[in-house]
Formats: sequence, C-alpha cells, structure tokens
Amino acid sequence: MASIRFHIAVFSAKCTHLALRLMGRGATTLPGKVAVKIDPKILKKLCEGRNCVTITGTNGKTTTTHMITDIFRNCGYTVVTNVSGANLLSGVTTSMIFGMKDMKKAEKEGRKIICVLETDEAAYGKIACQIMPKVSVVTNLFRDQLDRFGELAHTRDLIARGLDSCEADILLNSDDSLVSELYKGREGRTIFYGLSEESMHYNNVTYPDKSGVLPASSDAEYCTGCKTKYDYTARSFGHLGAFSCKTCGKKRKDPRFFVKYDLAKNPSDEGYELSLLDAGEGRDEKSGTGITEKRVKLPIPGMHNFYNSIAAVSACVRMGEKIGDTEALSFEKCAAALEHVEAAFGRMEKISIGDKKICVLLVKNPVGLDRALSFVAGASDAEGIYMLLNSNIADGKDVSWIWDVDFESKEFPEKVYVSGDRYGDMMLRILYSGVERSRIVARPMEECADLLDQAISDSTPGKCLYILPNYTSMLALRSILVKRYHLKDFWK
Amino acid sequence: MEDSKKELRICHMYPDLLNLYGDRGNVLSLIRRAELRGISVKLVPVSIGDDFDQNDFDIVFLGGGQDAEQNVIRRDFVEEKGPKVKEAIESGMVFLCICGGYQMLGKYYQEHDGTKIECLGAIDVYTVGEDVRYIQDTTYEASFLKEEGIEDSAILYGFENHSGRTYLGPSVKPMAKVLEGAGNNGKDGFEGAIYNNVYCTYSHGSFLPKNPRMTDHLLSLALKRRYGEDYELPELSTENEDFARAALLRYKEKGNTAP
Repeated sequence: MASIRFHIAVFSAKCTHLALRLMGRGATTLPGKVAVKIDPKILKKLCEGRNCVTITGTNGKTTTTHMITDIFRNCGYTVVTNVSGANLLSGVTTSMIFGMKDMKKAEKEGRKIICVLETDEAAYGKIACQIMPKVSVVTNLFRDQLDRFGELAHTRDLIARGLDSCEADILLNSDDSLVSELYKGREGRTIFYGLSEESMHYNNVTYPDKSGVLPASSDAEYCTGCKTKYDYTARSFGHLGAFSCKTCGKKRKDPRFFVKYDLAKNPSDEGYELSLLDAGEGRDEKSGTGITEKRVKLPIPGMHNFYNSIAAVSACVRMGEKIGDTEALSFEKCAAALEHVEAAFGRMEKISIGDKKICVLLVKNPVGLDRALSFVAGASDAEGIYMLLNSNIADGKDVSWIWDVDFESKEFPEKVYVSGDRYGDMMLRILYSGVERSRIVARPMEECADLLDQAISDSTPGKCLYILPNYTSMLALRSILVKRYHLKDFWK
Repeated sequence: MEDSKKELRICHMYPDLLNLYGDRGNVLSLIRRAELRGISVKLVPVSIGDDFDQNDFDIVFLGGGQDAEQNVIRRDFVEEKGPKVKEAIESGMVFLCICGGYQMLGKYYQEHDGTKIECLGAIDVYTVGEDVRYIQDTTYEASFLKEEGIEDSAILYGFENHSGRTYLGPSVKPMAKVLEGAGNNGKDGFEGAIYNNVYCTYSHGSFLPKNPRMTDHLLSLALKRRYGEDYELPELSTENEDFARAALLRYKEKGNTAP
C-alpha cells in the first residue's frame, strides 16, 4: 500500500507541474525534485513491480532510448519513458509520476507496460537500486565532460556500483574495452552486443601511423589491467573495435547480438542497409549455424547508430526472454521495428525550411564531434556548416576538448558559420585545421539567430545546411527555429 | 646570406597517453606558426619504449593525462628516458610541459595520504596533492612577453584543472603572475615555472592557440638554439588569434548569454 507521504509527494509534483506550465516553463525535472524532497524513496515505489529497462553510458543514450521505446510500442506495449536530458533522479521521477495515468489506463485495458529509462552515467550508481531494472544497457564510455565527471575509469566504477545494486541482466558493448570489462563478477547475467568482427575487419578504420601525423586523441589505448597497449585487428571508430592485450590475454568478447554491414554500399546521407543477427541464448557470433538474421533499412544514418540499433534490439529481445513474452518480442519483430524509428531532435533529422534544408547534429563531446564532422564530410548535399559552442555548466565550462578532435582529416563544406559564447575558440580551432579565414563567418551568441538567417539564405535549394550545436546552444537554436521559422515544437 | 629553408623538429612525448584537455592544440600551434613562416616542420611522436635522443629535436612537448595513463608512463619517463631528458634540459633544449607533464619534471608528487611518488627531478619543484581541485578559466601576466605598443602582449589565457599544488625551489622562476585563477598553489600568486629553456604551466585550454606570442617565443628560442643567436623569427600577424582573444575577453566580461 502506498503511504500518505507518497501521495503527498505525487500531489506536490503535479501542483509544481501545473504552476510551471502556467508560467509557460518546461517541467521535466522540478516536479520530480519536489516529490523526492517529500518522499526520498518515491522512485523505488513508482518502479516497484514494473518492468524497467535502463540505458546508460556516455554516448547514444537518447537515441537508444528512443529506439527501445519505438520497438516496444510497435510490439504492442504501452511505454513510459523520460524525455531527453531529464535523466537524473529528478527527471526520471518526474517521468514516472506523469506516466502513472497511462499505466493505470493500460492496466485497465489489459495492455502490457514497459518503462524505458535513460539514466545519466554518473547518477546510475545511485538510482539503479531504486529503479531495479530487469534489463540494463551500457552503451559506451567515451570522454565526456571531464571537468564534471572526472576520469573514465571513475565513471565505469559508478556504473558498476549501480549494476551491483540491482539484479538486471546486463547488455554490454563488446567492442568497447572499458564497457566490456564490466562483465567481470557478473558473468551469469551479462550478454554482449556489438558489430560483427568480420564486418569490422572488412571495413577497418585505419588510424594514422607513427609517420609524423598528429594522432587524434584516443580514450582507452592501454589495457586497464596490465597497462599494455592494446592490439587491434579492426576498428569501427574511436577506441571501439576488436582489441586484445598480448600480456594478460584480455580481449573482445564475441557478442550474441551483432550487426553486419558494408560501408561501401551505404550512401552516408540516406538510410543504411544492414543485417542484425542473433546467435541465440548462450551462443555468439562464432557459433556458426543457427544464427537468426534480419535485414533492415535503418532510417537514421551514422555508424554510431549501428551500435544504438543492436543495443536497442538486444534489450527488447532480452526483456522478452526475461518476462516470458518471446512471442511479441521475437528477434525478427524487434529488428523489423527499427525501420520505423525517428530521429530525436538534434540527432540527424533533416528539416525543411521553405525550399532549403537543415540538419541538426547535437555534439557534446569529442567522439560525438568527430562522428558528426566525418558524417558532414561524407554527405553529398553538404554545402554549409554552422557550429555553435557554449560553455555553460550543462555544457562543461571547459571547451578545450575541441582540440582533442581530429578536425585536420575532415573536409569542411565550402561555407563555415560559427557562433556561441565561445565563438572565438571554435573559429580558431577550425582555422588551425586548415580552413581559410575567408570561408569562416564568426559571430557572438547574441547574433546567432541572425547568422542562422544568413546561413539559410546563403544556401542553395536541394543542398543542406548542417548545424552542429552543443547542449545549451541547441536549446537556444530550438527556440529560434520555433520563433523565427514557426517550426512546431514537435520533438518535445 | 640567402635564407635557406629552416627546419623545426618537434618531439611530441607520449601523444597516445598524455592527450587530455586539448593539449594537442599546442603542437598544432607550433606547427602552424612555423609553417606559415616557411619553416618546415618534422613532428616525431615518442612514446613508451621509443628512444629519445636530444640531437634529433629542437623542441619537446609533454602534456597531461588521466591518472591511469600517467602511471603507465612514469616508469618509462623517469627510468628509461630520464637521464637523456635531463641532459637535454641542461643543454638548453626548449620544452613545453603542461600540468601532469610539469609535475613529472619535478622532484616528487606527494599524494593525499602522504605517499611520495618519485618524479624525474629535472627541475627544482615539488607537488602536493590536495582534495580541492582548481577548475576554472585563468589569466596570467608574463613579463618576458611584454612588447612596447601592444597592450595585452604579456597577457596569457588558459584553463586550469588540477588538484596538485606545486612549489618552486630557488633555481626555478615562475612563468607568470596570476591575474585570474589559482596558479601553482593558490597561495603565492604565481603560475608555472621556467628553468633554462623549460616552460611549465598548469594551463590547458589549449594554451598556445590563444597565446600566439608565447608560441612565437618558444619557436624563436628553439630556432636560435639551432641556427645561432642571430636568427630572427620572420614577422607573422597575430590577427586571427587576436580575434579569438577578443572574443574570449568579451565572454569573460559578459559571462554566458544562453540559458
């Protein structure tokens, strides 16, 4: 039975929500904060008896959460999920409180319910024991805002603490050496997903050798156990790939769920054709026969979305096995549902403005920026690029990470626009990579809307302006698009 | 004498391990401001197990890393390369060392629990780790960069992120006076260290892109050492870097503008 305290907490959250809406403000975290103040255990009570999936890691959380949500909905489930960014205790609590109504209704109608919760990697250690997920996905560990979280090994330990405080089945990225070692001591409940080793070999990404080229910064070149440099037979990107340590023998685990792909056949500005595979329980990609394969056309581009896709499908399939609904959540059905996923705002969605097109790619950390610049460099419709860099607390006060990204090897579109509070830093970064000053227009944050007008009016119909903001500059950009271009705020 | 093509050889130490907070931007700056002057640049990464021979280089860059990575390096740096690095420093080779690299050149690093980690001892400084980490934008004034007629010529901008407090011995001079931020130890008002041609600082940021006069100072020292005291670094505009400095100053004065 829910306590009086619980009901007061929920009521207060609803009042806070109403007050915020009346003031015309967003209400994604404050109601939950109020509720937690009144009842510190409220999230535990809200999640009790529910089937929850959590998604954590440094990159790809939002997209993976979206994909899992879409798959469950497609497979007939009612889904409660949190909005992007509201992934701390307060945000998750807010989402669960406002999901109560839907859940009650679904229960009455006899519909199946799933809670899909994106959780911040630094907060996971503390909130996993309240959510008690049945399935927990860890996407990857790339450098994020080091000034906020400290070092990657520390972030990994926070996630480990969360995993130990619950009994979830754990889905780990086999190609990330930092993530995959989380299986230790949790062998019985860990399942790996990744890209097919064979495909990685075939599409190997080679990194500049020691020939005098300045190498891009890598996040995990050395074995965390014995400090030996990893050998890679193949890479997908960053430190993700088929790694092995010649001293202690640690190496990539063969995944049960994996993706086969061929980059040569994939135009970067359209959907990707790829094969998703499931070797079955207790088996892996080396098991030979009996592997289920499903070919899909993924509507959102970018190689990192291969990882997000397989992570999402494996989470749904595993949940099906866990709760005994393998019928509705069969591998084929889950994989097929990927064809209908839509991009979250700022995740590569093309938006038409009159006869012009823009595409927004949120970039928050080095690997995200590296992927986005690679993507733009390969997009045949890229004519202009608009980069915005802020340094508010939510972005990280330190902007030095832009220098860790290999701009030098990326080709920039002809026209380059720069804004944000740190427009000077970004202008210099682009200039130092070899782009001529005459191609760059740099303006302070207060003029970012005018610069957007200019960039859009400079662009040719049929071509695309790629916009790469970081977190708070994306929020600003979103409201400009709503106000100046009357785009509906449909991504909320 | 007809100016034959000059060459600058940069040694980037442990680029695969010490690569935090944008420190590679410092190497990019040295390369850019040398190449724009028609100087050809040879960049050599030197990592664990590689030989370090001071005759091969004009300037050495040593950055900072995460703790895990710094522990991997320490033995190689102190025991294997140590004697040759000390020789190079005594002979006047130009070094730029940031944060962890700065600490590693010193005598020791004392951890919170009192454990002393032996470092190279090439310069007379030592570091004590404390709980409170300094993480902030910084501004310094370096008198050796002062140029008549250029108002902000001696001003250096950076970003510090360190829990170590560094103290200098008598043979080492501070690099600059702190105008904003904590500097070496948050107490004496100074930042960084200079010993012979070794320049050390806590400033990430990257440090050199925003401070082109510092870049030029290091280039000039390195090339004079190679080609003789008469060598003059050719003129090169700092217009673009000054644009970025003005933008940064604007940000510091106005603060953040977004939500």
